[in-house]
Amino acid sequence: MKFSFTEDQRLLAETVREVLEKACPPEAVRAATRDERPGPAWRALAEVGLFGAHIAEEHGGLGLTPLDTVLAYEQTGWFAAPGPIVETAVAAPRVVAVGQLPELATGSLIVSARPAADPYLPDADLATLLVAGSALAPADGIALTPHGSVDAARRLFTAELDAAPDDPVAFDQAALATAAQLVGLGRRLREQAVGYAGQRRQFGKVIGSFQALKHQLADVAIALEFAAPLVYRAAYSLAHEAPAASRDVSAAKNAASGAAHRAARTALQVHGAIGYTDELDLQLWLNRVWALRSAWGDDGFHRARLRDALL
Amino acid sequence: MDLTFTPEQDAFRAEVRAWLADNVPAEPLPSMDTEEGFELHRQWERRLAEARLSVVSWPQEYGGRAAGLIDWLIFEEEYWASGAPGRVSQNGIFLLAPTLMAYGTEEQKARHLARMARADDVWAQAWSEPESGSDLASLRATARPDGDGWRLNGQKTWSSRAVYADWCFGLFRTDPESERHRGLTYFMLPLESEGVTVRPIAQLDGEAGFAEIFFDDVYVPGDGVLGELGQGWKVAMATTSSERGLTLRSPGRFVATAGRLLELAKESGDQTLRDAAVQAWSDAEAYRLYTFQAATRLEDGIELGADSSLMKVFWSELDLRMHELALELLGPRGPVAGRWLDGFLFALAGPIYAGTNEIQRNIIAERVLGLPR
Repeated sequence: MKFSFTEDQRLLAETVREVLEKACPPEAVRAATRDERPGPAWRALAEVGLFGAHIAEEHGGLGLTPLDTVLAYEQTGWFAAPGPIVETAVAAPRVVAVGQLPELATGSLIVSARPAADPYLPDADLATLLVAGSALAPADGIALTPHGSVDAARRLFTAELDAAPDDPVAFDQAALATAAQLVGLGRRLREQAVGYAGQRRQFGKVIGSFQALKHQLADVAIALEFAAPLVYRAAYSLAHEAPAASRDVSAAKNAASGAAHRAARTALQVHGAIGYTDELDLQLWLNRVWALRSAWGDDGFHRARLRDALL
Repeated sequence: MDLTFTPEQDAFRAEVRAWLADNVPAEPLPSMDTEEGFELHRQWERRLAEARLSVVSWPQEYGGRAAGLIDWLIFEEEYWASGAPGRVSQNGIFLLAPTLMAYGTEEQKARHLARMARADDVWAQAWSEPESGSDLASLRATARPDGDGWRLNGQKTWSSRAVYADWCFGLFRTDPESERHRGLTYFMLPLESEGVTVRPIAQLDGEAGFAEIFFDDVYVPGDGVLGELGQGWKVAMATTSSERGLTLRSPGRFVATAGRLLELAKESGDQTLRDAAVQAWSDAEAYRLYTFQAATRLEDGIELGADSSLMKVFWSELDLRMHELALELLGPRGPVAGRWLDGFLFALAGPIYAGTNEIQRNIIAERVLGLPR
C-alpha cells in the first residue's frame, strides 16, 4: 500500500505546469474566448507530448496510463487551458484509425468528441475529426450548428452525425481526465479566493479574518482535499483495469464536480460584486467549472452508475 | 501508487478476521457508560490484549506487535466490519499513549503502557473546564508544588468515562502568573487519589457517559508530570501532526457504517435516500483513501500538519450524516432503541468533542489556507 505518485508522474505534471505558466496565463484563456483558439497552450502541450501520452510508443506516443497523466490533467484544469484537450488526447486514441495515431500524437490532428448520449461537440469548429461515441467522421463537409456556451472559451456545436455506442474505456478515461481538470480548477479558485480574502479590507480589517468567510473557505479545502484521492484512485483503477474502475470513475467525477462547484460558488461569494464581472479573470475559471461539470457524464449519469454498482 | 497489500498484510488481515469471527460477542454488549457494561467492555479489552490485538501498532514490550500504520488500518477495517464492541480504553490508547511514548520517561512508560493495553487501567481525559471548552487555553485548574510533588485544585468537566475509569490525564496551571498556553503542565494521576470527586453527568441518552472531576488539594507525586514543567500545551498538542492525527478515528468504522447503510438503502424505494446512501459510501471511501495517502506521507517521514483538522470535520459530519440517513431509511423504526439509534446519539457528539468543528474550521482557515487570525 503506497498512496503516492512516482517521480516521473510528478515530473510530467511539473513540466505541464511550467509550460502552461508561460503559454496559458489568464490573457491566453481570455483570447480564446475571442476565438483565438486553441492558442499557444495547445502548442505547448503538444511540445511536451501530452497528446501522445495515451498512444503506444510504436505509433509515436508515450504509452502512458491514466495514473501517469492524472496530475498533468489537474494542471490543465488549473490553467483552464483552452481547446478539446481531453477529447483529442484521451478519448480519441482509442477510437481513431491506427494510421491516424502518429498525427494525433503530435497534436496536429484536433478531435472534437462527445459521448453517445451527449448532443454537444466541444470546440468542433477547430476539429478535423468529429467523434460521437465510437463513430467518427471527418469534420470536412459536416455542417456545424453553434450553441451558446457558458464558457466562451469552450464552444459547443451540434452536427448531423450518428453516434455509435461509447467505447467504455475511452469514456471512463475522458471522464477521469475531466474530473482531474475540475480538481485543478477548484484548487485555482481556492487560491484566488484565499488571496483576495487576504487583501480586501472592509470594516478596517481584511475580510479573510472574518469567521463567516473562513468557514466557507475551510469547507472548500475539505471538499477538494477529499475529492482528490477519489480521482487518484480512479486513475489507479483504470491503469490496472480493475473490475470496479467504472464505479471508481463515477465516484471521482461526482466528487470533483461537487468540490469544484463549491470552490466556484465560494470564490464568487468571497469576491463579491467584482467577482460577478467579465472584467475579472475569475470568470474564466468559474465558467470552465460549470462547463465541465456536465462533460463526460453529468452528475446524474454518474450517480446512476454508482447506484447500479452499489445497490 | 500501489493499492494492494503484501502477503504478510493479507495474512494479518486473515488472522484478525478469524479471531474476531470466533470472539466478537453475538449480542452487542450493554453500553460502556453503565457499570455492568463498562466491566464487560474492560473484559473484552483483556481478551483482545491476550491475542495481542488491543494495540497492534505499539512496541512488543508494551503488548503490541510493532505493526506499521497500514497494518493498523487493516486491523481497524476488520475490527469495525466485524461489529466488535467500542473501545472503552480509547482515550488512553489513542490520546495519551502517543504522547506518553514521545515524552514519557522509561519508568512512566513501563508503569502505564502495558496496563493500559490490557485495560487494567482505563484512562479518562481531564481537559475541559466549566469556563474553558473550545477556549481550552483559558483553563484555571492549578497545580502548586508540595515537597517533591504537587497539589491539584480545580474542576474539570466533560470527562468521558471518568465515572468508572481508573486514571486521568490533563492540563493544570503550574505557573500562577502565567496566561493562556504558557505555564501549563501535563499531569497523570489515579482517580482514586484522596481529594478527587467524580460526579457523573447523564448524557442525551440518559447514561453517565461523562463526568465532572473536582480536585481538592489532590497530591500527585513528581513522576505524575508528563514532559517538561510548564510545557504542557506543547506536550498535549505535539502528537496531533503525527500518528495521533490519524488514529483518532480510523476509516474502518465509517466504511463499515457505509456498508450497513447501503444494505438498508437496498430495501428502500426512496430514490433521494438511496442516492444519499450512495453518496455516503463515496464519502467513506474518500476518507479511507485520504487516510492511506496520509499514512504514506507519514511513512515517508512527512509530517501531517493541520490535516487532522480536515479529517476531524470530515469524519464527524460524515458519521452524523450516515446515522441521520439510517434513521430516515428506518422510518417508524428509526427512534426505536437499537444499534442505529445508539450510533446516531454517539455521532451527534462527533462535531463537538476533540475540538468543535467550528474551532477545526478556524484551524483549517488559518493553518492550511493561511488566512489571518
